[in-house]
Amino acid sequence: MEIATNFIPLNALDVTYLLVVGFIGGLVSGFIGSGGAFVLTPAMMSIGVPGIIAVASNICHKFPKALVGAIKRAKYGQVDVKLGLVLGVSAEAGVIYGAHIQEDIHRRFGDAGSNLYVSLAFVIILGIIGCYILWDAMKTRDSADDKEEKVARLARWVQSIHIPGTMMYFKCLNARVSVLFTLPLGFATGMLAATIAVGGFIGVPAMHYVLGAPALMASASELVVAFVMGLGGTMKFAWSGLVDIRLAMIILAGSLFGIQLGAIGTTYVKPHMIKMVMGVIMVLVLVSRAIVVPVYLSELGLIDTLAPHLPGALKNISFVVLIAALASGAAIVFSALWRGISLQRREAALAGAPAAAFAPDVVATPAAAQLSPVGRFERFLLASDGSEYSAGAVREAVRMASKCGARLHAVDIVAGGDTELDAMGEQFLARELDAARAHLDQVQRQAAAAGVACRSEATQANQVYQEIVSQAEKTQADLIIMGRRGRHGLARLMVGPSTVRVIGHAPCNVLVVPRAAELVGRRFVVAADGSRYSDTAALTAACLAKLCNTPVTVVSVTLPVHSDERKREAHQIVNRLVSFLKQEGVEVEGKIPHGRADEMIVQTANEKNADLIIMGSRGRTGLERVLLGSTSERVIDQTRCAVLIVK
Amino acid sequence: MTKTSLDLAGKQVTRAALFGLVSVALYFLLYLFEDSILEFTSQGGWYFIAPVAVAFLFSFIHGNFTAHFWEVLGIKAKK
Repeated sequence: MEIATNFIPLNALDVTYLLVVGFIGGLVSGFIGSGGAFVLTPAMMSIGVPGIIAVASNICHKFPKALVGAIKRAKYGQVDVKLGLVLGVSAEAGVIYGAHIQEDIHRRFGDAGSNLYVSLAFVIILGIIGCYILWDAMKTRDSADDKEEKVARLARWVQSIHIPGTMMYFKCLNARVSVLFTLPLGFATGMLAATIAVGGFIGVPAMHYVLGAPALMASASELVVAFVMGLGGTMKFAWSGLVDIRLAMIILAGSLFGIQLGAIGTTYVKPHMIKMVMGVIMVLVLVSRAIVVPVYLSELGLIDTLAPHLPGALKNISFVVLIAALASGAAIVFSALWRGISLQRREAALAGAPAAAFAPDVVATPAAAQLSPVGRFERFLLASDGSEYSAGAVREAVRMASKCGARLHAVDIVAGGDTELDAMGEQFLARELDAARAHLDQVQRQAAAAGVACRSEATQANQVYQEIVSQAEKTQADLIIMGRRGRHGLARLMVGPSTVRVIGHAPCNVLVVPRAAELVGRRFVVAADGSRYSDTAALTAACLAKLCNTPVTVVSVTLPVHSDERKREAHQIVNRLVSFLKQEGVEVEGKIPHGRADEMIVQTANEKNADLIIMGSRGRTGLERVLLGSTSERVIDQTRCAVLIVK
Repeated sequence: MTKTSLDLAGKQVTRAALFGLVSVALYFLLYLFEDSILEFTSQGGWYFIAPVAVAFLFSFIHGNFTAHFWEVLGIKAKK
């Protein structure tokens, strides 16, 4: 058979390469529901497999992989089988039509024509959709609202259209949608799948942006679509004898390891991560394929013949970019998986551990506490938004209140100004408040189980931080306890999260608890710079260390550029505080590291396995904070342990 | 570790090993009869069933192996 001459011989290196690429492709597919295949088609082409054989073999490995992935993710409740099947059936028609076009091009223009067609499809589709998804992922990430994904305006319009006799209910949309919308979306998905073996680059965004499915469910349901059309596509290509079963099964061997891991990864991440991985990989592969387009154009005689060394060089560059795409996607997924699993293990260990003794076993009498720089420990204000970022704050607030006999006032504040309210509508606000009340009920149950008196309040405010500060003043709180969002860098400065603003405006001390932090009194780190603020922090540390019988490390950081006089001053600061803490009967040591203050404080806390950093607050807010930055803010940003900001 | 969890871990290891062995055997056969299998599955026409059947068989065996493999290593979904 003539076409059989296109089946290339495989050596050990090719097989290893395909196994690795298959694994990473599977990892990506399991994570974003699609997209593994778009890496695999060019990967096969890069070792000399003709475009059409690469596409056919890819589809043949794709449907069993999608089946395994769909079953896995259905176990996590992420799959809408009905939506997947409805889209899959119409996608089947698209696959048949797309495969017909592929074969026609191959017959007329040969391998070069087929390769050019596939590469151009990659460039155009990935260029448009990839850039949009990446932009949307960045926007969603910066909005920091991970609680619930907002349905796109287009999707809201699609869901509002009622065409009698064509309406169908889908559970992942929680709405009825006309099949007249799903048909063209499915067809386009199938056509793309038959062209570049990745229908999901239309399917997932279509389900998410056009129909309104959550990103996680869209990516999971796409696996059902991929199975249906992959099976159909395989039949079609196999009918023409184009499937290289060796290639398909070798890739499948690696990809089934990857898809299981990718599917597990989705249970640990926020929806914007799905889009981020998809967008990053799409854009990089687009660049990879765009680089070799001139080679195929030259082979077809559509442009001047390239210099003899140029085709090889372009293919090599394309290959490097492809590897970068693979590495980037896999790195993001691995990183998300690693962080998620580590966090869960820490939290599980905390939940299983006996109640730890951050707070003293013997409750300080109010009379004694009145004289303490810690202030009274009678009223705690817990600010929680119900997200996982607040989990540590809730846990530690209940634990501390139980130990100190303090009363807890829990607040969950729904953000939204008048303009936003108009846009969101009353129903949306009511739903948000209901969710907040449900969360606070849970906190109250948790507090009741620990024997803590707890009141709660769900409210709405234009500025969350103002409301927290106002609640602290109203309830005369001795301590505000809150979580920390996992954001770093420029976005943090620009957005100005509530935690930082609360610290700037709070009338009392603020305890910031990252979600996996544990307050068990292993060691406290006190940051000192010789100011009255750090002296207050040292007084607080002395009081807490005595109550908890916890050793303390005093840190004063110097920069290499500092003068000898400044360095001597740092020694004096540390010696003064160490003497003071020793007099108070606290086990203490001093440390004067060189480097950036925030980095050295966090590094010391890590080295000493400390569970609390105590710092003074200079109370910077607004423009001054943005321009000058704040050491305490950067420490909160970087550290894994809790931070007590003393006012 | 309780007795029940030890039993469960033991079962997972046994299943992973069993599916792993069958999976290796399948791939070894594919390697051994590479040319014949390739020729048979690429004949076209009604022989399209051959690659589809091979793919289903491999996905069942190898899919089960990979699922148990990660579980044995302790990599599980967030509950």
